[in-house]
Amino acid sequence: MADDAVLFREGLVRLLAEAGHEVVAAVGDGDALRVAVADHAPDIAIVDIRMPPDMDSDGARAAVDLRRDHPATAILLLSQHIELRHCLDLIGTPGFGYLLKDRVVRLDEFDDSLRRVAGGGSALDPQIARSLVHARRSAIDVLTEREVEVLSLVAEGHANAEIARRLGLSDRTVEAHMRSVFTKLDLHDDGTTHRRVLAVVTYLDARGP
Amino acid sequence: MPAASRTLTVGATLVVGAAVLTSPSAGAALMNLTLTVAIVIGWLIVVRRPDSPVGPALAWCGAAVAVSLTAEQLAAGAAGDLVASVMAPVWVGLWPVNLAGLLALLLVFPDGMLPGRLWRSVPWLFGLAAALVLAGLWGSVVVDGQVAGRDAAWRLPATAAGVVGIGLAMVLAVGSVVARFRRGDERIRDQLKWLLLAGALTVVLLVGGWAAELAGASVAAAYSPFVASIVVVVPAAVGVAVVRHDLLDIDRLLSEGAAWLVALALSAAVFGAAVVAVTQLLGHWTAIGPSLAAFVAALTLLPVHTYVHRGMARVIDRDRHVAVATVERFAADIRSGRREPEEIEAVLREAQGDPELRLLLADNGTWVGLDGVRRDDVRDGEAGPGGIVLESGDVPVARLDLARDTARARRRAAALLRAGWVPIEVSRLRLGLRQSQARLAGVAAEERVRLERDLHDGVQQRLVVTALRLRLLQRRVPDEHGGELDAAVGELLDAVEELRRLAHGVRPSRLDDGLGPALASVAAASPVPVDLAVADELPDVDDARTHAAFMTVTEAVANALKHARASHIEVAVEGARDRLRVSVRDDGTGGASGLVTLRDRVRSVGGELTVESPVGGGTTVTALI
Repeated sequence: MADDAVLFREGLVRLLAEAGHEVVAAVGDGDALRVAVADHAPDIAIVDIRMPPDMDSDGARAAVDLRRDHPATAILLLSQHIELRHCLDLIGTPGFGYLLKDRVVRLDEFDDSLRRVAGGGSALDPQIARSLVHARRSAIDVLTEREVEVLSLVAEGHANAEIARRLGLSDRTVEAHMRSVFTKLDLHDDGTTHRRVLAVVTYLDARGP
Repeated sequence: MPAASRTLTVGATLVVGAAVLTSPSAGAALMNLTLTVAIVIGWLIVVRRPDSPVGPALAWCGAAVAVSLTAEQLAAGAAGDLVASVMAPVWVGLWPVNLAGLLALLLVFPDGMLPGRLWRSVPWLFGLAAALVLAGLWGSVVVDGQVAGRDAAWRLPATAAGVVGIGLAMVLAVGSVVARFRRGDERIRDQLKWLLLAGALTVVLLVGGWAAELAGASVAAAYSPFVASIVVVVPAAVGVAVVRHDLLDIDRLLSEGAAWLVALALSAAVFGAAVVAVTQLLGHWTAIGPSLAAFVAALTLLPVHTYVHRGMARVIDRDRHVAVATVERFAADIRSGRREPEEIEAVLREAQGDPELRLLLADNGTWVGLDGVRRDDVRDGEAGPGGIVLESGDVPVARLDLARDTARARRRAAALLRAGWVPIEVSRLRLGLRQSQARLAGVAAEERVRLERDLHDGVQQRLVVTALRLRLLQRRVPDEHGGELDAAVGELLDAVEELRRLAHGVRPSRLDDGLGPALASVAAASPVPVDLAVADELPDVDDARTHAAFMTVTEAVANALKHARASHIEVAVEGARDRLRVSVRDDGTGGASGLVTLRDRVRSVGGELTVESPVGGGTTVTALI
């Protein structure tokens, strides 16, 4: 766990412990994070984007290094606001998540995202997913309202069953919507969640407007 | 040539020196002594300008007169009867010698003979004519003021032909001066104007002498100013013209001197006319006449002078008059909105005839160009060589650096600076305004970034931490209080969301990712389709400008949605050399007004906002930043 804001860090550490996770290290900057990951080889690193010394995107840069040096460690980035500059290439890759900080107090959702990312899946904050989907006007124009909702949840990293639960639909209906979306957008669905997310994110072109 | 110049001048000096030393009377000695002025100034020119033929010519102006005077004295018996008997037949016909020096001076002043056979033939014509006069008058004597010649049929026509020839030579010599003035460059004209000034003064003094003689003054008193002018003022003017032609503002001397003279003459005429009119009216002489006439003359003097002065300036000092008029016309064009004051440098270059001239503006003790860029090659507060400073009170406002720096160029530049004072001062104030706007915009941009960070990392973080602690607490309290804590956490999360929106209004943090992603989120939030086209390569502009570009889009989109009932919006961002061009086009009702705040915002970062909005034809808002 890496965050320079001590109160938040300690609070989250306690929260994680109470949820049954083991926190092997809690640090306050990017360099300490690199060392801690090398020492403990954890399942997941939870990283604040803004950290000393620059108070800019140190966390995001450290995340890129971790992905290169320790591909087995999943990464969950946290930030106070959407800031994609340094982590665009990580979005949609397996074992990567990006959430706004206030998500952590929605305990169940947060725990769900955490386990998903640690297990090699994806998690994108709904706000980020929404802005990605809506930025692609051509996608919105050809999809139905329901299909846009499904697409956003896919971008967030959810599996079909979870999407069905959230939308109050049957699994089969969700699958039908998914087929329709992927056909309309000419995307390839190979069934694995993170590849779907990658395909969607690549299509939505997070790298530009 | 220098050696010949010196030899000729030495000759002239010896002639005048001999004339002075051999003067038979004190009066004659005084007369000869005045001729030494020409010799002295001739030497001065020879020393300072060894190549100039003007020195010897001037010296011989004096020497020729000395020759003539000495011949007359010798003929009168000053050196004994023997010499007198030799000189007697000669001297009556020797008077053309008096003019020889003047002729030479007119032909060579200020820079040597003019090229061409015509001008070269003038001295020969003069020599021939002088010889004819000498032959025609050989042996004549003056008796009681009448020339009594010897009788011979050929003598009278020969003399007459000689006089005509000399007159023609003198007319040609004056013509060469005119031709020189017409062909000459600025320097030659300046030099000739000195001669013109001295010549005009001499003529005025001659006319004054006539008037004084008519009024009853003695001949000596009446004409002595005239003689002094010939022997002192003319040589002095020639000397100044050759050695230091830009010593004084000759144009102004000429035009102002002439203007006062003409104005004086006109008001004297008015005076005389008024006296006559009053006397006629009353039928007899009365003291009222002159009093009234003086009053009328005084009233007319000043306006007449102003009018004449302007006319004279146009004739004599044409170049400067035209140059100043160019700048004044430019100032008038600014008042009527046809031109921008910042064009002043180009106008000054044209008016001054100096394409490398530079106008610098004072900016807190340093000099900056019209573009606001500091000129480091200029030392603070100093005019330096080629620099003229324009001051308002004691405070320097601007300076002109001349590439062509002469005393004359400086005088003209000073006049142009005075004429261009208002455009220069306006340019300076506008530059100051732009700079202070840019500084304020920069400070505001920094402030917004800081505020946004403080909101996110400060207040927002603490709200999240508080929510987190409530969650931790929730596990330790009985379940019946759980709902209340849930509600409290929900409130906090709403507050976080609201704070995020507020911070976005201060400065959208998506701008950190670049203008494109930030605009994508604007497009995403719009309820009507927004086509967003952002060029791959955008000019590198600072945060204040990026933010202004972002604001342009958000404001224009909001305007299209709120007022224009648009159903489709196109947003385009591209580079236009080193500027950002942002345009927002909608298909709404058009007729948009306002956007004043946005215009100010764009201007504050040095940009321009244009709004095209015909009624019923949609609205296009374009910002160049």
